[in-house]
Amino acid sequence: MSYPLSHKTVFVLDCSPAMERPCGHQFEMDSLSKGRSSGLIPLAPVTKTMWTCAVEAAVEYCRIVWDIYPSARLIRLIANGAQAVSVNDWTAADQHLTTLMQQLAGVMGGVRSAGSQHSLHAGLAAALHALGEPSEAQRADRAADAAAKVMNRGRVVVVSQLADDGQARRLREWFADALLQHNRTADGAAGRLTVHSCELVLVSVHPDTAECPVTPRPPAPLSAILSGSVVTAKAGTQLAPMMMNLVLSHYELASTTVTGIPMKEEQNSGSSANYDVELLHPAKAYESILQGSPADHAHLRTRRDGCEYETITLKWCTPRTSSAELHQCTSASRVTPVDVNSRPSSCLTNFLLSGRAVMLEMPRRSGGKFVSHMLAAHGGEIFMHALGSGRSVLEDPPSVSEGAGGRVTDYRITEFGRLVSDNRLAPGEASEEGGVPLHAALERLARHTRVWPMTLSESCLAALPSLDSLTALLVKDSLSTDEVLECKKAVYNLVSMEARHEPLPVTTSGARGRGVKREEQYRALWSELEALVRAHCRSDGHQAALECVLECRSQGRAAEERLGLDQAMEELDRCGAPVQDSPLSPPPTKRWRRDRPPAQLSLLEMWNQRVDADNALKRLEFSGRLNGGDNNIVKLYARLDKDKGDEVKK
Amino acid sequence: MPTVLALDVSLSMSRPVFQQDRSEEPPTVRQLAIKGIHALLNHIHHNCKLEFAALAVYSSMYEILGSFTRDFDQLKSRLASLAEYDKSCVETALLGVKAVVAEEWGSGTACQVIIISDGSLGVGDSSLRQLVAGSRLHLPFSFPCRLDVVLLGERAELERRGAPAAFQRLVELSGGEGAVHTPEPPLSAKSTLALFRRLAETNYAPFSGVLHCGGLSSRVTLCPPPQTYNRTRDFEAVKRTVSPELRICGFLSVADVASPPAFSRHLVLPAPSESGDAPGEPCSEEDENARTACFCVLLHGGLKRENAAALVNVGEDWYGIVYSWADNKKKANLMLSLFEPGTNVLPWLGDFTNLGPAVPGAPSPFPIKVSRKRSYQQTCVTWTRQSGLHSDVQKVLRHARKLPDKTQNFYKELNRLRSAALSFGFYQVLESVAVILERECTLLPGNAHPDCALQLTHAATALRHPEHRQPGKPIQPLSTRFQQGS
Repeated sequence: MSYPLSHKTVFVLDCSPAMERPCGHQFEMDSLSKGRSSGLIPLAPVTKTMWTCAVEAAVEYCRIVWDIYPSARLIRLIANGAQAVSVNDWTAADQHLTTLMQQLAGVMGGVRSAGSQHSLHAGLAAALHALGEPSEAQRADRAADAAAKVMNRGRVVVVSQLADDGQARRLREWFADALLQHNRTADGAAGRLTVHSCELVLVSVHPDTAECPVTPRPPAPLSAILSGSVVTAKAGTQLAPMMMNLVLSHYELASTTVTGIPMKEEQNSGSSANYDVELLHPAKAYESILQGSPADHAHLRTRRDGCEYETITLKWCTPRTSSAELHQCTSASRVTPVDVNSRPSSCLTNFLLSGRAVMLEMPRRSGGKFVSHMLAAHGGEIFMHALGSGRSVLEDPPSVSEGAGGRVTDYRITEFGRLVSDNRLAPGEASEEGGVPLHAALERLARHTRVWPMTLSESCLAALPSLDSLTALLVKDSLSTDEVLECKKAVYNLVSMEARHEPLPVTTSGARGRGVKREEQYRALWSELEALVRAHCRSDGHQAALECVLECRSQGRAAEERLGLDQAMEELDRCGAPVQDSPLSPPPTKRWRRDRPPAQLSLLEMWNQRVDADNALKRLEFSGRLNGGDNNIVKLYARLDKDKGDEVKK
Repeated sequence: MPTVLALDVSLSMSRPVFQQDRSEEPPTVRQLAIKGIHALLNHIHHNCKLEFAALAVYSSMYEILGSFTRDFDQLKSRLASLAEYDKSCVETALLGVKAVVAEEWGSGTACQVIIISDGSLGVGDSSLRQLVAGSRLHLPFSFPCRLDVVLLGERAELERRGAPAAFQRLVELSGGEGAVHTPEPPLSAKSTLALFRRLAETNYAPFSGVLHCGGLSSRVTLCPPPQTYNRTRDFEAVKRTVSPELRICGFLSVADVASPPAFSRHLVLPAPSESGDAPGEPCSEEDENARTACFCVLLHGGLKRENAAALVNVGEDWYGIVYSWADNKKKANLMLSLFEPGTNVLPWLGDFTNLGPAVPGAPSPFPIKVSRKRSYQQTCVTWTRQSGLHSDVQKVLRHARKLPDKTQNFYKELNRLRSAALSFGFYQVLESVAVILERECTLLPGNAHPDCALQLTHAATALRHPEHRQPGKPIQPLSTRFQQGS
């Protein structure tokens, strides 16, 4: 595990008598009650001490870092008075602005250095000691794997009034020695980490009215594991902007100025004016947009007064309402306003925190502009989303209807929509067995999709809205008694539908759906239902539901079987007839069986038929009838008529 | 990823290649290269239909013959009419590649660069050796890339001249992904085609996987094929590849997902079934595919209907979302956005493994609120600028002027100012505010509530009192008999 240099930063704030002197920059207070009445004695302006300036600048540094990196970028403050007092700790609880302010107030009274033998060594030693203490993450790493080498790096920022270049040099040399010494002892001792690499930043402050006795030095290596730099600033006016420069370079941040934010005027709410708000964020927000030669985007960059860094100006676009749209976003970075309490800043942050998103436009060098970023808050944090710009490799994609399965029209989209909303995710608690919530979600999805026809035509069940409740119940992990009853009700409902010979909703398309007999449809439905319930049989309740289905189905099948027997006999009769008609076979014994009475015959007709049949067996059939033609009708005395005819001819 | 082909058109490319089979006219190196490029483009066209390619030629100058297009026939036709130029200079090839990529894709899109040459290193100042020694090559590119170099020559001859090693250095400078390729000896049309075919198969292998959603699934291909994630992050080096098993874990509403940053994006296209048993007409087979129900289409419809996205596990600790996406409003398709690898990459969704079944009908639990407020969400104090200090003092004064109604607010603001002053060691401001409050007291109109003067004086005195210089001792309102309820 490697930790970046910015994982740990220690501020050593010097609290020597020199730092207790006024910074020389005055804050006038008189204007606060101006206009109330004239003729009052003017109020004296207030002046901060250099110590106050140093604390404020360090707190502002912490505010920016913790807003943008809520974890894993740790800062500790050490007040170097008569002895070194550690203000806060590496723990996550201590890495927060409110806590830090309280802790500062707590130590402030006790740190004053009285004597003249004041030295920064105690503070530097305490800083080294702090760097040697493992952070929570490092401790966890070591606990996980004792043999793993934890790369421990850090930065020490000292804010003090240095007398001259010589003092700066001596401090650096002393610190380099102390670092070596620390690493020698840290190697053996448990719970202490070697400092593998360190940066020492000496910030020399002086009153605004005085000349600076120290020359600044750019960062340069001092030894294999130590590099150092010296910066100087007037305490009252320059220290805070200088700390901004430091925080930008230490954490690879960049600055964006949102311009043209329309805001109602405080005094007359009718008019509105445009304001600018400067935000800080990781430089990666511009990673994919601002590459190539710096000249290509020089037109975007400006430098604010007193700052060494450049800010990129983007224009506010009045937001559209649709937030439920996925933008092509390449990175999302946390932001923090530079001037957090100013009215334009708090207006912008409150607007975003209320849930609205703002698009930001970047002008092109060639003229024109494009939407490059989006500002939006998620859960109380404001992010700057970098949006994809330029040509996409995915341009002109094929439509889903052009691919496989694109011409099928009877997908169960509505039902799948229900499946989607039934399988939404939410943060959960780990189960007692130690399974992560995501596994439970996967299991539920598997249950819900165990039997899931994709199209209407492949399922009779899907087309029957009255069975939806049953399907919804079956996918549950277990069924309560009431739920089993519900299931049974749905099954009985199906039984009664069948008994009433209700037609099933015929699926509109698909070859199988059309022209199929109702009985067959019901048969398919029952077997599909059985398969569904059987697939979900995972609890006693499900078992009960399955038994219910099987029971109902077996009753239905008994009726079916009787019907089948009759059909079989009919068929047998039909094919049996020609055999009986063969000349060699004996006369049929039960001829009436052949003309089995159709259902619409009355009882009398049936009786007559039977009597006729019996009589037919008892006496010999009239030979004329046996030879007779159609309908066994024979004309009696046919010869008589013939003879008569002959006589007439004669 | 889009491809840039940079073909050497220097004079040496027009040398004939000695062939053992003497029946035919010996081809030139360039003719072999063109054959190879044709084979490569054909392969891409058949396997990765949505890929773009661009064509550049270089000698001591470069020329873009065709910028990024999916119409490969157009590129092939440009190859048919090439002139002969002077010496070879790799520097110009790289400049040409850089220019054409920067113009089309900017710096965010990974590109495949293939340089095709006979392995001549150039002469004099612009030779490859001089360029590398003087670090005059514009490498690495501003965009992520894979650089492959194809050297068409007899392997032994190339090695004698040290060409493969020199070009290998080029590949390393570009970021190390890619390689130098030489054809199997002897150099011929056959060995050249084999080389290009091999290159195409390794670099343009289509992704083939299965998208699972519980019991439902579909064979899919991702377009463009996902790249291996290989980055060094702040705390660890991470290397991940997308698994062929893409598993839907559950669904989230698009509004909750809230435009998450994506490492890469891919179209999810249903892969045609691999049933080789019915080799019918290709047309009817396609038709049959379109008429066979496919889970991708169902998923797309359902997600679009519900305005939802599916959370997909694509590998070890690697997640993404699948959603309906439309380039223009007409043609919607399934899109996979891959997040950065890790389970906790979207703070507003929390750890992905911590997402479990939601109770149907419950209000959305997203976004997950931060446990501790950021500075802009709370009333933090910064007095580095005069305006900050003034606005905080003014807040106290505003409430002071509305006493006794705003007594509680007055003391709340006063104590906020007090504790900030104590934290910063800025005691002078306490004295100054005490003076201002006393002055307010003298300015009170005659008909003012008697409580006003009492509270203001009390507050001014308390600000100066050493007891209230302790952080745990906030100033309490003075209880007077004028207050409500007394």
